Amino acid sequence: MRDVVIVGVGSTPFGRHSGTPIEQLAVRAAAEAIVDSGVDRERIGALYLGNFISGPMNGKEVLAGLVAEQLGLPDIPCTKVEGACASGGIAFRHAWLAVASGQCDAALVVGVETMTHAKTAATTAALNCAMDNENDGPSGLTFPGLFGLAWRQHAQRYGTSRSQVSAVVRKNKGNGLLNPLAQMGATLTDEQIADSPPICDPLQLFDCCPTSDGAAAVMVMARELAGGLPGPAIDVLASVQTRGSARIAGHPDLCTFEATVSAARKAYAMSGLTPDDVDLVELHDCFSIAEVIDSEDLGLVPRGQGGFWAAEGRTAVGGQIAINPSGGLLAKGHPVGATGVGQLYEVVHQLRGTHPNQVAGARVGMTHNLGGTGVACTVTLLRRSDA
Amino acid sequence: MNAAKVSMLRCADCAKVDSVGRVVCSGCLSSRLEASELSGEGRLAAWTTIRRAPTRFHDDAPYDIAVVDLDAGPRVTGRLSLDGSPPTVGARVNAVKLDAPYTLFEVISS
Repeated sequence: MRDVVIVGVGSTPFGRHSGTPIEQLAVRAAAEAIVDSGVDRERIGALYLGNFISGPMNGKEVLAGLVAEQLGLPDIPCTKVEGACASGGIAFRHAWLAVASGQCDAALVVGVETMTHAKTAATTAALNCAMDNENDGPSGLTFPGLFGLAWRQHAQRYGTSRSQVSAVVRKNKGNGLLNPLAQMGATLTDEQIADSPPICDPLQLFDCCPTSDGAAAVMVMARELAGGLPGPAIDVLASVQTRGSARIAGHPDLCTFEATVSAARKAYAMSGLTPDDVDLVELHDCFSIAEVIDSEDLGLVPRGQGGFWAAEGRTAVGGQIAINPSGGLLAKGHPVGATGVGQLYEVVHQLRGTHPNQVAGARVGMTHNLGGTGVACTVTLLRRSDA
Repeated sequence: MNAAKVSMLRCADCAKVDSVGRVVCSGCLSSRLEASELSGEGRLAAWTTIRRAPTRFHDDAPYDIAVVDLDAGPRVTGRLSLDGSPPTVGARVNAVKLDAPYTLFEVISS
């Protein structure tokens, strides 16, 4: 396998893009990544596009080919991939595989979703496509419901409190204020969070990520061919995809997602790195309690300590491990298919030293993208090439 | 209310018990799956209250959801019937008879 680097990134702001067709959002982010990379379009050998629900939400499919045509790309394989909220991360892994295996020299990754134009009921129905509707669906379970269940078990086992989880919300909303791409940065008090409407106990409104539109893109290339390009190349040290249970009752322990644990273990093994080497992570905080669980599953925080570490400020920028300096899904937003690619965009800027909420001296960054009930997961480890 | 069973599938070849909605055994790929009615007794692993429901459940909201570890082994999801104070994780529960596409559990002791 060849070494692979990220040579270009692009992104639209995450938020409301009312009236913009989904393919145009994708094209905007992708064009930015192509220009940023300096790669000639004739050298791009494949396009992978991550998207979850463009069919039900927009009545549009074949997005990968549609986007490639508008970008003036050559006659290359263009593939849309779907893995619920991990669609973007999976698209990246396929592009990485295509380049690492020698199938092509450069590959373009795009993630995109539009959701804000639809009524809440339509959005909820579309998102619930990611559930096992023969088993979990009939009882009326929802994705917020899954995380309500997980929170209750985490609280009972580890003593995780409302105020600790609120520390995650305050941190990520605060980080979002510093990120011009973020949808919902805010300065919140514990009281405002605790007084927000209940969604799925103990989850409240500010514990949930918003509904978002947005697109992000990444160009990957074989390291041996990236020498003459203008920007600093970022090493892809590991790109891993795993599967967990598609059923909520299929998880033996709701305080952990086995797909995350497995992906992290494989990513550390592939890269030769340990959790201590990681300076920052963009992880899948679709709900506040998810950040607590993810940080433990990734080995970045001791088991059961996720809430404590957040409350002690150890996961803030400047702390022991910077978690979601972009604002994460909670504040930056969660245009589902774009999220995993957006995480890579953020980490690349951190490793270039050009992030608006910069982690000082960042050398190694991680992304973690989790889909459905934990049925699909990707973990990526990136390193500054001169580090 | 009367005690009810929980519907699962049991493989006639390797005896693995799986959730419903399957056509082959995830253990041995046999298609000889037989309906299996397990005792509805178990322990509450986690529960939550759904206050924002999907469209088809709007009329039910708010409603409670349980994850239950059946004494017979498998873990299942279903609705939870709550009349009194909030239960603790680990509380004893039992499935009750109900004409619905889901299993309804009630707490029998905390």
